[in-house]
Amino acid sequence: MSAPATEAVSPLEAPSGSPLHRIAWHWRHNPKRELWLAWWTIVAFYQLFFLVFFVLTRTQPPPSPGWDVARVVQWFHHHHYGLLIGFGIMFLITGMTAPSNALIAYSMRRMSVSPAFAYSYLVLYSLSAIPGMLLMCIALTVGAMRPDRDPELISWLYDFAFLSFVGTMGVFLIGSLVWMLAILLDRNRVLPKWFGYLNLCNALTEIVVSPAWIFKTGVFAWNGLIAWWIDMVVFGLYTGVFIFLLRRMIQREGFGTGPLPDLAPTKETDPSALAETAQ
Amino acid sequence: MTDLAGAGPRPHRVDGKPDAKDGNKPAEFVPGQPDMWAFVLFEALVFTSYFVVYMIFRTRSPELYLQSQAHLSLRIGVFETLVLLVSSWSMARCVQAARQGAYRSALTNALLTMFLGVVFLVAKVFEWTRLIRMGFGFSSNEFFSHYFFLTGIHFLHLLIGFVAVGVIVYQLRSPARRSQELVETGATYWHTVDFLWIVIFALLYVVR
Amino acid sequence: MKRTDGELILFWTLPAVAIIWIAAFFLFPGFVHPMSPSMSAEQVAAFYRDPHNLSRIRYSMILFNWFCVGLIPILTLIVMQIRRMAHRTPIFSYCMLGIMAAGPTLFLVANLFWLLAAFRPERNPNLTQMFNDLAWVSFGSGVPFLIAQSVILALAIYLDRQSRPVFRPWVAHFNLVVAAALAPAAFTGLALGGPMAWDGALPFWVRNVAIALWIVVMGIVLGQAIYRQRAEDRQRVGDRVPA
Repeated sequence: MSAPATEAVSPLEAPSGSPLHRIAWHWRHNPKRELWLAWWTIVAFYQLFFLVFFVLTRTQPPPSPGWDVARVVQWFHHHHYGLLIGFGIMFLITGMTAPSNALIAYSMRRMSVSPAFAYSYLVLYSLSAIPGMLLMCIALTVGAMRPDRDPELISWLYDFAFLSFVGTMGVFLIGSLVWMLAILLDRNRVLPKWFGYLNLCNALTEIVVSPAWIFKTGVFAWNGLIAWWIDMVVFGLYTGVFIFLLRRMIQREGFGTGPLPDLAPTKETDPSALAETAQ
Repeated sequence: MTDLAGAGPRPHRVDGKPDAKDGNKPAEFVPGQPDMWAFVLFEALVFTSYFVVYMIFRTRSPELYLQSQAHLSLRIGVFETLVLLVSSWSMARCVQAARQGAYRSALTNALLTMFLGVVFLVAKVFEWTRLIRMGFGFSSNEFFSHYFFLTGIHFLHLLIGFVAVGVIVYQLRSPARRSQELVETGATYWHTVDFLWIVIFALLYVVR
Repeated sequence: MKRTDGELILFWTLPAVAIIWIAAFFLFPGFVHPMSPSMSAEQVAAFYRDPHNLSRIRYSMILFNWFCVGLIPILTLIVMQIRRMAHRTPIFSYCMLGIMAAGPTLFLVANLFWLLAAFRPERNPNLTQMFNDLAWVSFGSGVPFLIAQSVILALAIYLDRQSRPVFRPWVAHFNLVVAAALAPAAFTGLALGGPMAWDGALPFWVRNVAIALWIVVMGIVLGQAIYRQRAEDRQRVGDRVPA
């Protein structure tokens, strides 16, 4: 992945001017544009995620599992359009999680550890979006689209949605541990060690949330002080931190202007050809 | 933007080992990795929030909590506290021995720490089984939810502590490694686990 | 290289999978004339209980269950082609890997719900309707990964600046058009009738035609890219053999 420092070419200067002009310039010339594309996708995704879940659909902070069936149906009626539009947006944009996972996997490829870490993380988090988020979007959409559905079924969809969202723990648990291990073992100092430990905190929140499967009221319910509020603070902090650290990582990337890697080898750059000409 | 892994201004080699000419190392900011300190402080903060929640709910139904607390065995609690305190002492001796280069002694102390940790775990499991046989489980009542949650999450932190001690033992065994920084880092974590237990013990067992 | 690396075999599974999908699509009685979300619970239950429909539903869905992940090898071949592009990082290939893990899974979830609905048709009609709803919403709205796939592919192609890019620029434009065509389907939960319902023009016909077109077009350009790559490899080996 390292571009050989064979040429001492001075880096291109980014122009000043209107934002559109600058973006166009970066698109054409910035050697790190793929990384920045992925990073800005993460930023955009989490902002949209916050808007959809906290403002539009009001599914976060979650309503109570302790409500009776009538109250649950009332909640669906109240949020009818918010739910359908909000989750429609999620059905549009969930694919934006892919660049996020790609960038984090890339961070592990820059580390001195085996590529197995990057690939494990990529697989784990790629499959996490379905049980951990989309099932809730689907279940609540189905719950909201027929207001005259049997209330018991609406109540079941309500449970299905929130428990799948809050209770999908394993992928995030193991994924965080994989990233933590990669960071702690890394000798290239791609990411700071304290962030490795923060991954452990994030993994522990997945354990702390597990009582949500048992309790319908109290601090351990899916909307409880401990299982949701404190967990969400840790998760929010963790997300903000890793977005900031990934930005710093991209800024530190030492891309020069050397030959592009992984091009289909031509006659001249084929390794065996080079070896021959070297003799 | 070069030194961003948080290793601080110490003249260590990239792999964290102390300089070969160790005699005149400048005084360090904190023992072990500063990153570990950040972590234990953060964890302590999170635990504090759990304790605050517990206290809030305790003041709401004091009789329930008092009655439930009566079922806890103070003797076992004291025993567990003593075991962890001794383990912290052996851990401190391990760090000191490593600093002086007495690696055999350090290794022995590290293993002693691990052994005492196991004793604690066994006592904890025994205590839990006793309570469950008496009919008190995680979902029995509010107090026991908190009790099993707090002791459970502490148990988990102790298990992680075994990983930390394991890293220490691994470092001490071969002269090619023996990073003082890692030994101190592991010790920091272990002391924190001990400290958290003392607070839990005080809150759940003693304060009535 | 004379060594069989299997890529061509994988590639030629595409027409086989496509034929199976098309067959299953027409076999399922709920697609050719798509079921309407405005059907009442009794009508939905009657649909599943109708003996003419029931076996067709089950067998078509079993077929889909076997083969809905059948395009993953093709998507992987696309990832291999992305790796040949003039990018500085493997970010785009990682994105595609992640997307192709999730996309077919969503299709599989929809498939499971249909099979569930058809398993005990004598069930309470409300339950059958709910499973049917879950299946249709998963299927119809399950476009996020397909959209991302097309957008990422387009971006990867736009950034592939070499004298002979792996895919030509029109492929990128085409992918963006497909992404735009799939977008309305995301909002199909909002309507129980009309062009935005899951049986309506946009979420059903436009969506499925766009997906079919994507499979055909990408299949062709992928095949061209693979064969071209092999020809170039052979030529390179041939050039290096001393006269």
